[in-house]
Amino acid sequence: MPMGLHTKDTPGKGRILVVDDEDNVRKVLRLTLTKAGYDVVEADHGGKGIEAIGSDDNALMVDVILCDIRMPKINGLEAITFFQQQYPSVPILVVTGYPDTKMAADLLSRGVFDYLVKPVDQENLLKAVSAAMAQRLELRHDH
Amino acid sequence: MDISPATIRVIILGAGKGGTALLELFTRSPDVEIVGMADINPEAPGLRLARNLGIQTATDALSLITEDRANLIVDVTGNPAMGALLVQHKPPRAEVLGGTSALLIWKLAQYEQDLRDQLIQAEKLASIGTLASGIAHEINNPLYTITGLTEHLQDETRPEVIREYVQDIIQAGRRIAAIVQGLNAYARRAHGEEVCDINVNQTLDEAVKMALRATVLDDVRVVTQYSALPPVRGKAEELLQVFVNLVTNAVQAMEGRGTLTLSTTSANGFVHTTVQDTGPGIPRNHLGQIFDPFFTTKDQGKGTGLGLHIVRDIVTHYGGQVKVESTLGHGASFTVKLPASAQTR
Repeated sequence: MPMGLHTKDTPGKGRILVVDDEDNVRKVLRLTLTKAGYDVVEADHGGKGIEAIGSDDNALMVDVILCDIRMPKINGLEAITFFQQQYPSVPILVVTGYPDTKMAADLLSRGVFDYLVKPVDQENLLKAVSAAMAQRLELRHDH
Repeated sequence: MDISPATIRVIILGAGKGGTALLELFTRSPDVEIVGMADINPEAPGLRLARNLGIQTATDALSLITEDRANLIVDVTGNPAMGALLVQHKPPRAEVLGGTSALLIWKLAQYEQDLRDQLIQAEKLASIGTLASGIAHEINNPLYTITGLTEHLQDETRPEVIREYVQDIIQAGRRIAAIVQGLNAYARRAHGEEVCDINVNQTLDEAVKMALRATVLDDVRVVTQYSALPPVRGKAEELLQVFVNLVTNAVQAMEGRGTLTLSTTSANGFVHTTVQDTGPGIPRNHLGQIFDPFFTTKDQGKGTGLGLHIVRDIVTHYGGQVKVESTLGHGASFTVKLPASAQTR
C-alpha cells in the first residue's frame, strides 16, 4: 500500500489538516470547513502538522492539507516538502498572506494543488478544497 | 609604506563644498591616497570629515605642502593668492591643479555625487518591492480574520458567538491600524533628508522590524547588546538603509532561521555597531568582492547586488568604515564604525 493512503472511509466529507500559526486564521478556516461538512484537525506550526499527520503513517487519515508558509519553528515550505515526500497522495493547498507570484509558481510546479492568498472568501476556499478532495478520492479509488 | 608609482598622492587645499566633494570622491577612488587637507577654517566641513577618516589636516597650507609627500596638489580655495603661493613654494615633483582645471574636477565630483544619490534611491526602490509583499502578508492575516468572521456572522444567531466574533474582528482591525501607523512613522522618517543627530540603537530596532517584515521566513532570534551611545550625524533615511541592508543580508544568509546579534559600543569618538548572523558564512574568495556594485550571490530577482555597496558608500560618506569578518560555516559579522556627533565629543 502506498504510504499515506488509508483504506477506511474518513468521517463526513473528509478530513482536513489546517496548519497555521494564527489562532484567528485557524478559527475562520475551521468554521468554514466544518460548516461545509469537513472534519478539521489543527496544528499551529509545521512541526505540529508533521507530528499530527506523520505519527503512525497518517493515522489521522487526513485527506487534504491547508498550509500557511510563514510560521515559526518548521515553516510551511519545509512542512510541505515533508508532506509531499511522505504522503504524495494528500493534496496540499497553500493559504498564505503573501501575494507572491514567484513563490506561487514555484510551489505549483512542485506539485502543490493550489495557492490561495488571504483573505480568500468562503466560496473560493471551498471550491479549491472540494477540487482537492475530488483529486484525493480519485487517487484513493485508483488504489 | 611602499607606494607603487601608479598611486596618486593628493593634497586638497580648501575644505568647503568643493574640497569635501573631492575628498569623498578620492576616498572612493582606487590608487588615490589623500595625504592631507588644508583650510584656514579649522571647522570647515571637509576638515572634519578628513579627521574622521584619519587624514592629516592643517590650517596652514604651506606646512602641508612643504612636507613634500604629495605628487598632486588640488587647489579649490578659489583664492588667487594661493595660486601665487603654490608657484613659489610647491616641491618640484608635485603638480598643481588649480583654477579652471580644479573647477572641472569639482564639477565631475558633484556629478559623481548625484549618480551616487540616484543609486541609493534606486536600491531603496528595489527594496520597497520586497517590503511591500511583507506588509501585505502582515495585513492580510488580520484582514482574513475580519472578512472570514464577517462572512460567518451573516448567518450566526447566537448572541454570545456574535459577541465573540465581533471582539476578534475589532482586535484584527486594531492590529491593521497599528501596522499602518508603524508604516506612517517609517514614511516620515524615510523622508529625513536633513543631516541630524541619529540614535543608532533606535535605528537598529527599526531596521530589524523592517527587515523581518520583508522576509517570508522569520524564525530568527534577535539578541541585542546595546550600550548607551552618543548620537551620530547623518540623514535618518540613509542610516536606516545601512542597517536594513545589513540585517536583511543577515536574515537572508540564515535563510530565516538562526540568531541575529546586534551590538553597539562607543569609544574614542566613534560608535561601533556589529550585525552578526549564524548563517553559513562568506567564502574567503568573496570577502574582497562583497562591497563591489552588482556583486551578488543571491538568486536572480532576490538581490540587486547594490546593498553592501551602498552600505559602504553611505558609511564612508559620513566619515565611517565598514568591516566584515567571516569564517565559513560560522556566520558573518559586519561592523560599522561611525563618528559620534561633534557636539557630544
